[in-house]
Amino acid sequence: MAYELPIPTQGTHTRPFWEGTKAGKLMLPRCEDCNRTHWYPRYICPHCQSMNLGWMEASGEGFIHTYAVQHLVFGKWAKEAPYVTAYIDLKEGDRMLTVLRGVDPLSPEDIKIGAPVRVEFEVASEDTHIPFWRVVEV
Amino acid sequence: MPGQLYKSAAIVGAAEANNIGFLDEPVTALQLHIEAIKNVCDQTGIPINRIEGVFSTGWSPELCEHLGITPKYIDTTAVGGSSFELHVHHAMAAIHAGIIDVALITHGENGHSARKIGGRGPSNYGMGGGGVTAPGTEMTMAYGLGGAPSNYAHTMVRHMHRYGTTSEDYAHIAKVSRDWATLNPRAAMYSKEKHPFGGPITVEQVQDSRLIAWPLTILHCCMVADHGGAVLVTSPKVAASLNTKPVWIAGAGESMAHWNMLEMDDFTATSAATSAQTAYSMAGMGPADMEMALVYDSFTITAAITAEMLGLAKRGEGHLLWKDGRAAPGGSFPINTNGGGLSFNHSGMYGMPLLIEAYRQLSGTAEDGVNGDKGKQTSARTCVVNGTGGTLSTTGTLVLVADDD
Ligand SMILES: [Zn+2]
Repeated sequence: MAYELPIPTQGTHTRPFWEGTKAGKLMLPRCEDCNRTHWYPRYICPHCQSMNLGWMEASGEGFIHTYAVQHLVFGKWAKEAPYVTAYIDLKEGDRMLTVLRGVDPLSPEDIKIGAPVRVEFEVASEDTHIPFWRVVEV
Repeated sequence: MPGQLYKSAAIVGAAEANNIGFLDEPVTALQLHIEAIKNVCDQTGIPINRIEGVFSTGWSPELCEHLGITPKYIDTTAVGGSSFELHVHHAMAAIHAGIIDVALITHGENGHSARKIGGRGPSNYGMGGGGVTAPGTEMTMAYGLGGAPSNYAHTMVRHMHRYGTTSEDYAHIAKVSRDWATLNPRAAMYSKEKHPFGGPITVEQVQDSRLIAWPLTILHCCMVADHGGAVLVTSPKVAASLNTKPVWIAGAGESMAHWNMLEMDDFTATSAATSAQTAYSMAGMGPADMEMALVYDSFTITAAITAEMLGLAKRGEGHLLWKDGRAAPGGSFPINTNGGGLSFNHSGMYGMPLLIEAYRQLSGTAEDGVNGDKGKQTSARTCVVNGTGGTLSTTGTLVLVADDD
């Protein structure tokens, strides 16, 4: 079935990220000078202002930082409501947004901040595999 | 010791467009601007053609052409709802530098009417991250967030987790704000007669209202209505020549943190802590010297966090100001005496109503028959005002004090 949710418009300097997703890898931008990663991808390192940027493969593991349950939704996501959105703390220290998988949107109190999550990729189009995070069963 | 800019300028007048709220007859944002400007100039006796500096969120050239004036200082700072507090800061600096004596800060936004006739405003101030091709948007657009509530809900959950608070704690903020609105005939939620959902509300009603983005119900969220407003800021010399009372700008500060919420380090804190520190320092005063506050309440959680950032409450205890009744009508520390963005009016950017209410309270004109019913005017002589723009990103804090006479 065709992917009917919003598909990101890809820029040019984020190509290594999207190439990575197609290989099942979560790539993070990393500064070649200060060695620190950042998210979202910049044209300049936000830590040391170097433009000498590269990429590294991330662990794909993280934790729930905070979350919410979307009930009133317009546009393409409307038919999915209610669903849980979450900000994820990556093991590498950066933070990503996701629609969280493996949780019950009707029992929000049962979702635990700090719970471990792992990335997975959904094939939205030939060129775009979108990362989503899922709560790890323990 | 106060800083160099201490009381170097005053707000000398504040007015709104002729009609605000959920207007039956659609208005343009430009009309809301122009009516408010005309009204504030009439109020102060300053002719429109004496305005030397124009401060607005991107509108200044168009407005000046419309008004037929050619100011010598033009500022179009647009950082979201807090823009107007930043405008006051910038106007003060321009006046102190001797560049201008009379500054106009103006706002017009047809948040309600725009649904019928379209609108215009700075793009993307709600979500952050720039245009659709900006990398911040590229990496968030797949994940089902929409309007401001969808994002702000995450901050409330983090605050609840960190401090053991509950959404009901914040519901008191909505309830108390409504109590204030029932004293303000200009408030959209003044009464049942004015709006089907107007009039007093209970904490239970707040909690039981429609769920927007758990844990935010609709009564935890501000409205989106029509509003226009303007204030005039002048040098002390011009202020002394007017019949209106000056309200002195004792301190001003601005700061920013993230723009995209991805970069918000601490979901329970904003840059208001920094902008407040700058403002208090300029004023030579602190939170203990404040007698009331006007804080941005895009959501109940915004007001609670802001109160904490301004030093009015300990971290994690901001909501207690409302829950204990201190912030309520008749309380020891009034907050959001107009009814706030929750129950007075919020058109998309709420910074201007904050300035107008601060001027009215500190000039003793908060219940002259138009601005409020009996009980709305407080005895406060000092007020801290904080605007928050974007997604809890850019803040402007002002310390305002009443005239000595
Ligand atoms: Zn670097």
